[in-house]
Amino acid sequence: MPEEKRKINAREFDLSAVERLCTDTWEAVYRYIYYRVQNREEAEDITQETYARAISFMQKQNARMDNKISFLKKVSLNILRDRWRKAKGRPSEVNMDELNPGEVSTDDFSLSSTERQVITDALNELNEAQRMVVELRIIRGYSVTETARIMNKTEGAVRTLQYRAIKNLSEILKNNE
Amino acid sequence: MKDRERDLSDYTEKLSEYIDKLNEEKKPEQHGGKIDSPEQERLYETVRQVRRLREPAMPADDFPQKLTKTAAARLNRRKVYNTLRNKWYWNAVAAAVVIVAIALFAFSGLFSKDNAVLAMEEAMSEVKAYHGILEFVSTNAEGEKTVQNKMEVWADEKGRYRVDILEGYQAGLITVNNDERKWHIRPEEKKVHLFAPFPDPYRFVFELWDEVEEAKNAKKTEILGEETVLGRKTTVLEVHPRGGVPYKLWIDRETHLPLKKESGMLNALQYTVAYTEIEFLEEIPADKMAFSVPEGFETEDRNPEQVVTSVVEAVKIAGFEPTVPKNLPASFRGKSISVEMLTGTIKLTYSSDDGQKRVVLLERKAEGDFKPATTAAIGKIGYYNAEFQSPVEVSEGILKTFGGMYGFRSIRWQKDGYEYAVVGNVSFDTLAGFVESLGAGTVRMPENMSFREKPQVEVPVDMESVENEQKSVDAGHSPWKLDPVFVAQVFVSLKMSPEGIQGDYPVAYENLEVVHNNGIDAVIEVKQENVPVKRVYMRRLVRQDNTGIWTVIGYDPA
Repeated sequence: MPEEKRKINAREFDLSAVERLCTDTWEAVYRYIYYRVQNREEAEDITQETYARAISFMQKQNARMDNKISFLKKVSLNILRDRWRKAKGRPSEVNMDELNPGEVSTDDFSLSSTERQVITDALNELNEAQRMVVELRIIRGYSVTETARIMNKTEGAVRTLQYRAIKNLSEILKNNE
Repeated sequence: MKDRERDLSDYTEKLSEYIDKLNEEKKPEQHGGKIDSPEQERLYETVRQVRRLREPAMPADDFPQKLTKTAAARLNRRKVYNTLRNKWYWNAVAAAVVIVAIALFAFSGLFSKDNAVLAMEEAMSEVKAYHGILEFVSTNAEGEKTVQNKMEVWADEKGRYRVDILEGYQAGLITVNNDERKWHIRPEEKKVHLFAPFPDPYRFVFELWDEVEEAKNAKKTEILGEETVLGRKTTVLEVHPRGGVPYKLWIDRETHLPLKKESGMLNALQYTVAYTEIEFLEEIPADKMAFSVPEGFETEDRNPEQVVTSVVEAVKIAGFEPTVPKNLPASFRGKSISVEMLTGTIKLTYSSDDGQKRVVLLERKAEGDFKPATTAAIGKIGYYNAEFQSPVEVSEGILKTFGGMYGFRSIRWQKDGYEYAVVGNVSFDTLAGFVESLGAGTVRMPENMSFREKPQVEVPVDMESVENEQKSVDAGHSPWKLDPVFVAQVFVSLKMSPEGIQGDYPVAYENLEVVHNNGIDAVIEVKQENVPVKRVYMRRLVRQDNTGIWTVIGYDPA
């Protein structure tokens, strides 16, 4: 039986089981979280909490983990929702599930080709300067100073341009939903 | 029109900072409690969407091992809690569990210092209340031991406690805080003193929740070995706190909770405090928490506060209408309203649903201009400067009764002739939630205050001597190095009298103004004529918190 499909029972939990669980599944779970938070620090933190919570839960409830990755993803999504909702003091205004319908139930955590196309199309609707600033700042990860130098603009102009670009992009994506 | 422009510039700045954070692979503050408008949040989501075109940044190679360790530590702890869950006494736990737990740790090498602290934290989270006998012993430089106190204590997770001093100094004194009031029963004077239940900076020595918190926040912890104490097997941990002298903790290997603490030798005296008995309870017995005045005792009310039942009553006493939060941060609810009679301060107290977190909102008519504590970091609320303290060390202005509140943070500001503060044992993000719910404006944390200025003249720094100075301050010497204004005063004075300062400093403390302090960098401006320095630039080079010393890194000549 493939390792991933093997069911885990809480009673079987020992150190080697934990080690196996982490080694087999961490990358999928980490990528799933990173997809949502888009930064390593938070993704690492939530991944750690996911495993700690999952193990506590399994031991407490004497639960059975039929599909490890999907169970861990559900736990991580709960943590993420909890944190963002709790922190903001009110329900999240932007429901991440609504923005990515069907995402939660599927095991495919990477960017689907449809979504990639949607974003690329939206970027193409921006004017050249706006598209460039998004590409430099967000996709390539340049600083404002570096972007200003490349685009031959002041830093203030880059910030304003980038704000307008994201605002337009947000509208375009909203209208295409 | 101007407001709109300012808003726009604020939005573009924030969005840029958000992108920068993601580019640095760090968690942006917006993911941890900063409240922004739905429109702003929509922009952040758009940034994340675009960013998904990139490959994720993967963790370091040792991440899977770290993950396994954290997860396995949870596994081991859970095994021990099952024994803790029931009320237990010394000698009452099955030896098999101990052997399994120790074997697991020994086998896997998991009982590392981090795990010891993590395990303590987790074990403590399972405790609802406890009752114990504490013995407090001092040892002098010759090794002579004296029992200072013997105390019977009760404490619970909500911060309620009772301390009966059984033997030693102040024997017979009883201190209780049941969250509704705090009182002292003083048999010698035949008096019962009443106090406000909050703020209550008093904590009895070796209170377990505080102890675990301190170890958790320590700069460094190190395992020294194993020892049997009071018949219990323990792990000895050396804790290096942020500021202060290292101390030792003996942690029970079975319960993972501290059993004994020994301070470092300070002024030729060393203190040891230990639980000679302890039992874990579901709650503190009601009779121990009930307020009663023993026969023949007088009551003396030392509480300068009038508790009222509504804001309307508070308005009648204080003479002004307080600003009340519109939407409380999740899981918080109103607990009480009172008025501090001497200062006319309206105090709105909020508590989390589980009773463990407390936030107090203070408002009063301002007295003069806003002057932040010189040691505090400075952020912004809307367009106004605001003082940020963690912990609340200096009791300036409206925070008068809150000084020295370990584990509490505060934000204080002034607006339209009123002074405000929020203070609580919560994160700055939660406090910011309260501030913003007052409609006071967007909160900008000190660490996010951009700092781009550079000194005209740089001052070379010798890191080795700075580190030594930090150690010396940690040991309690030259505490003025924690105050950037004082450090600037000494620096400017020495520029004026390089041969040394005799008598008063040539530049007065009052004539130095903090123009920037984000907790890491500070700029002090000299407001005195005929001084060769206009601005002093300094930085916390060793530690970037309230225990870190300030070092001059440059200045602008006048």
